[in-house]
Amino acid sequence: MLILWEVNKLYNDVLKDFLKKAFENGLIEAVIAPAATDNSYTYALITKKEDVEKLTPIAPVMQWNGADMIRRITRLKPAKRKTLAILRPCEARTYKELIKFNQINPENFYILTYDCPGTIHARNYVYEQTPVEELIESMKKGEISDKVRESCRVCEYPTPIKGVGDIGFGIVNTDKPVFFSLTDRGKDFLVKMEIQEGERDDSAWVEMHRKNREKWLEEERITGGRKGIEKFLAQCMNCHNCKDMCPICFCKECFFEDHSVFDYESEKFYNWADDKDGIRLPTDKTLFHVGRLIHMGTSCVGCGLCQQACPVDIPLYRLFGIVGNDLQKVFDYKPGVNDDLPPIMEFREEEFEEFVGLNGGED
Amino acid sequence: MSEKEFEPVIVGFFCNWCTSAAADLAGTSRLHYPASIRPIRVMCSSTVDPVYLIRALQEGADATILGGCHPGDCHYISGNYKARRRVVIAKTVLKSLGFDDDRVLLEWISGSEGPKFARVMTEYTEYIKKKGPSDFKYVDSLGGE
Repeated sequence: MLILWEVNKLYNDVLKDFLKKAFENGLIEAVIAPAATDNSYTYALITKKEDVEKLTPIAPVMQWNGADMIRRITRLKPAKRKTLAILRPCEARTYKELIKFNQINPENFYILTYDCPGTIHARNYVYEQTPVEELIESMKKGEISDKVRESCRVCEYPTPIKGVGDIGFGIVNTDKPVFFSLTDRGKDFLVKMEIQEGERDDSAWVEMHRKNREKWLEEERITGGRKGIEKFLAQCMNCHNCKDMCPICFCKECFFEDHSVFDYESEKFYNWADDKDGIRLPTDKTLFHVGRLIHMGTSCVGCGLCQQACPVDIPLYRLFGIVGNDLQKVFDYKPGVNDDLPPIMEFREEEFEEFVGLNGGED
Repeated sequence: MSEKEFEPVIVGFFCNWCTSAAADLAGTSRLHYPASIRPIRVMCSSTVDPVYLIRALQEGADATILGGCHPGDCHYISGNYKARRRVVIAKTVLKSLGFDDDRVLLEWISGSEGPKFARVMTEYTEYIKKKGPSDFKYVDSLGGE
């Protein structure tokens, strides 16, 4: 039996030992996990046991969405080598969502996900390097550190969910970390690793986040129709970073980039300016955000990377998270937590009659 | 607004096989319907990305109509079911942002329903007239807030 835990051992070291052991047992041939760079963390793919030391499985910063990295790797062909990816719960949900969209081929992939202490805004981390141990410590005390991002404070699923990912790593509310399986594949994996499955109670940690979320959904809503949204997006400089970082925005050709829909003859611009007493340039700034909401809002997993990527610090997650939440409620859909198809991928013959016609489709 | 009565601008996206045919039928039957409708013929109601509806509302339309075949009658078998989901998304987003979602209308009008076409257009125009101009149009004054 493998003893992974000793007193005062760092959780990252526990995971590193786990990875080394998995390499030795021949269960995996590659690992995708965060690794430190100068003042930040990015994802790394390693294929040798010696390289495990270079990793930081639980990083204080989420620069990219890990599922997006897996998408890039398996875009053309499925992975040939058995790979273990260490993902945050939100990334694991993204992974599941992208499988539904046929963007990830899950063949040969194992996902390990853990009780997430939250992440620090990548820009804040450059100026103040907070080690992940500090975040985990406040998590063990039952407090959400005030250094973590807004989207992490209001996370709906901060811990592993059954069926999302294969192996769970429990930290919260337990003296020693536990491994547990989330799927049958994960169970096999742990049996082969000779690890006894453990249990821990994460309900308090989840409840805390849900409470924050309820409050947040109520308080931070953008109201006021067009005026409200224009005010909210007033500083937006149309860089489209939010779209680039969004793991759900995977289209190769974006509706809003180099699309002939937005090519107009010069005379049009002058006519608009005539009609509206002047127009702002570039045009269709708000349309980009509202359009993106329409395209990906039903599948927003809530990683909050749009907000982190914004160079002018618009709290974009309040737009995508809250409106996305409304959309998901209408369709009774939770992205990435179960096997339901995303709303935009399916339809039923009898549904949403109340949205047809002026008074709910009377004839 | 001037003292003139408010004439709404309503952009209609009508599917080629049903609602556009109904518009033709209404015309050849000499049925009157308001001139505030600006029809755009599309091949299928599902080709209309909700972004186009939103853009019409943003750029000056007071309301938009998406017309398609009745469920089960789509020329492309399932286009109108997809269009319905898309309209649900568009309406929910608008409502969520604090905007009146009645200004997006989805209506099933088949090729033989010329009278229904005229009636729906008249009723909807009256309805929007009562509501007044849309506040989702350009509110941006260049002077800033």
